[in-house]
Amino acid sequence: MREAPAGLTGISTQGLLIRNALVKLTHKLRRSGVAALALAAAIGITGTAHAATSLVETGSSLLYPLFNLWVPDFTAANPGIQLSTTSTGSGAGIAQSIKGLVQIGASDAYLSDGIMKKNPGMLSIPLAISAQAINYNLPGLNGKSLKLSGPILAGIYSGKITKWNDKAIAAANPGVALPDHVIIPVHRVDGSGDTFIFTQYLAFSTPSWAKTVDYGTAVSWPAVSGGIGANGNSGMVTAVAANPYSVAYIGVSYAAQVEKAGLGVAALKDKAGVYVMPTAANIAAAADSVVTTTPPDERISMIFAPGELAYPIVNYEYAIINSAQSDATTASAVQTFLNWALTSGNDMKYLSKVHFLPLPAAIVTLSKTQIAKIH
Amino acid sequence: MKFRPFRLSLLGVSLLIPAALCAVILFLLIYSGQAFIYNGLGFVWRLTWDLGNLYADPVTVHGISVPLGASYGILVFVVGTLLSSFIAILIAVPLSVGAAIFLAEAAPSKIRPVLSMLVELVAVVPSVVFGLWGVAVLVPFIGRYLAPSGNGYGLLAASIVLALMITPIIATTLLDSLMQVPKENRESAFALGATHFEVVSKAMMPMVRSTLIGGIVLALGRALGETMAVLMVSGGAINILPSSIFSPVSTIASFIVSQLDSAESDPTNMAVRSLAEIALVLFLITLAVNAGAKFLSSGALRVSNRK
Repeated sequence: MREAPAGLTGISTQGLLIRNALVKLTHKLRRSGVAALALAAAIGITGTAHAATSLVETGSSLLYPLFNLWVPDFTAANPGIQLSTTSTGSGAGIAQSIKGLVQIGASDAYLSDGIMKKNPGMLSIPLAISAQAINYNLPGLNGKSLKLSGPILAGIYSGKITKWNDKAIAAANPGVALPDHVIIPVHRVDGSGDTFIFTQYLAFSTPSWAKTVDYGTAVSWPAVSGGIGANGNSGMVTAVAANPYSVAYIGVSYAAQVEKAGLGVAALKDKAGVYVMPTAANIAAAADSVVTTTPPDERISMIFAPGELAYPIVNYEYAIINSAQSDATTASAVQTFLNWALTSGNDMKYLSKVHFLPLPAAIVTLSKTQIAKIH
Repeated sequence: MKFRPFRLSLLGVSLLIPAALCAVILFLLIYSGQAFIYNGLGFVWRLTWDLGNLYADPVTVHGISVPLGASYGILVFVVGTLLSSFIAILIAVPLSVGAAIFLAEAAPSKIRPVLSMLVELVAVVPSVVFGLWGVAVLVPFIGRYLAPSGNGYGLLAASIVLALMITPIIATTLLDSLMQVPKENRESAFALGATHFEVVSKAMMPMVRSTLIGGIVLALGRALGETMAVLMVSGGAINILPSSIFSPVSTIASFIVSQLDSAESDPTNMAVRSLAEIALVLFLITLAVNAGAKFLSSGALRVSNRK
C-alpha cells in the first residue's frame, strides 16, 4: 500500500490535495481491503478532470510507424485532444471510417469510385508520400541491384517467367551471371495497400496483366507453382530471407529490416525506360510529376508516373475522413490534427525515420481545402 | 405443476448455448443469402477466388450487384483445410497415444505428475506462439533439408504445427481414462501371463477406445478451425491446388481472416457475404466430422443413460 500514491506524482497542486486526502483515506481503509478500490476510483476522477476530445485512428500498417512518431508530439502540443492509433490494414481503415467507428482511417489506397458513389461525403486526404521496393534473395547477387521491369515482374507473378536466367531478365541485366534456378514469387495474403500499388504498377506497365488480374488490395493471384503468400510486411521480409531465389514487394518503411536481412533491392524500369532505384530523389521526382494533375479530391495514382527519373511505385498515404463528423468539437479536433500532420508532422525528423517524403506545397494546399470541408 | 425456480433457471442457462449456436447459423444463412444465389452450387467446386475489380463500377448479375469479374470458388481452401487437419491427426495420434501410454504405464510414479502437467501446459500455449516457432524454426528447416524447391512454407509445415497443438489434447484425455482403467482388469491380465505390451494393447486400449476417438474429434475441431498459426506457415496459396506435401496451401479459417480486410472495401458487400458463406461451409465440415466420429465411437447416446 505504501507505494500506491507514488503513481500519482507529477500532477498539479489540485492533484496534490487529492493525493493527501487519498493517503489519509488509505490509512483509514488499510485494513478493510477496499483501499485499492477507492484509490482506483480517485485516479479515475483526476484523469477526467479536463475533458479531452478523443480521436481514434486505425488502418494501414505502412502508416502506423509514422502515426506512432506523431502521437506523442501532437498530444503534447494539443493537450485537449487524445489520439489513439492501431494498425489493422488499409481495408479496415476505410471500412471503419465510413461506418463512423473511427474518426481517422489510414490507407495506402485512395477510395474507389464505387465507394465514393455510395458515400459521397468521404474524403481521401494525402498526409505523406511513400514508396515500395522490389526485394529479392539471390545468393551472391544481393549486393548488386538487379534491373527489373513491370513486364518481367508480371511474367514472374503470372508464371510465364519461371527461372532467374530467363532471357527477359538476362536481357535487362547484361553481364550478370544469373542462376539457373526456379523463381519463388512472394505475395501478401492479407488485404494490403502494398498489393494495391504493386499490382497497379504491373497493370499500368503490362497490358496483359491489366486484362487478367488487374489491381486491388487483394487480387486473384495467377496459379504459380511454388509461389508463396506471406502475412504483413514483416512476414514478407521473413519469407524472402528464409527462401533463397525468392522475390517480393515490400514498403520502404521496412527498408531497415530488409537491409538487416541482407536482401537485394531492384532498380525498376520507369515510364521513360530508365532503371531507377527507390532513392529520395527518384521518389520525389515521381511525386513532382503528378502535382499539377492531382484533382481537387486528390484521388490519383502516382504509380508509373511520367518523368525521366521517376521511381515507378510511389503513392500518397491517405487519411480517409468522413466530412460529416458526429459533432462540432470532434470535427474541429480532426481538423486540428490533420493540419498539424501537414505542417509540423511533415517535418523530415519524423518522415526520414520511415523513409517517407513530405508533400509538395501545392498538394498541402489541396489537402487543406479538403480539411476545411470537415464539419 | 409445482413451480421450481432452480430448475427453471438451469433450463434457461442450458438453452442459452444452443440458442447462441442457432443465432450464429441463422445470421450466416441470412447474411450469405445473396452470395448463395450469385455463387450457386459451383461455389464449393470452383478453383478461382477473385474479388473482382473493386475500383470499377459494379455490374448487375441476376439482379444482384457484384464487382466486375467477381468469382468466388473455394475448392482450394476446402482441400487445404481437410488435408492439413488429417495429416496433423496422422502425426498427432501415434505421438499422443505413445505419450499417454508411457505416462500411464512406464513413467516412474514420482515424475509422472510433473510430466503430465508439462503435457497439459503445451495444450494451453497460445496458437500464435506455435506459429512463431513454425516461422522461425520449422519453415527454414523444411526449406533447407526436406523440400526440393527450397521453400518451407506449405502443407507439411502447417500440418506439423497443427499436430503439435493437438497432441497434448489427445494425450491428456487418453491419459485420464487410462488411469481410470480398473486395477483388477490390468492385474488379471498380468496374472494370465500377458506381457506388458499385451496388457496395454489387449486389456487397456479397448476400454479407452471411445475416449481416444473423443479426444481425436476434439483435436480435429481445433485443427480445422485454427487460424493464426496456419496463416503464418501455410504459404497462403490461392487459385492453385497442392501438388505435393511441400506445396503452399490455405485453410478456410486463415483465408477468411486474411481476406476480410479487402472484402470490407467492396462497395457491393458481396465479398463479405461470400466469406460468410465460406464460414458456413467450415461449420458444416466440423459438424460432419463430429457427427461421423460420434457415430464411430457409438458413444453418442451413452451420456444420457447413466446407470
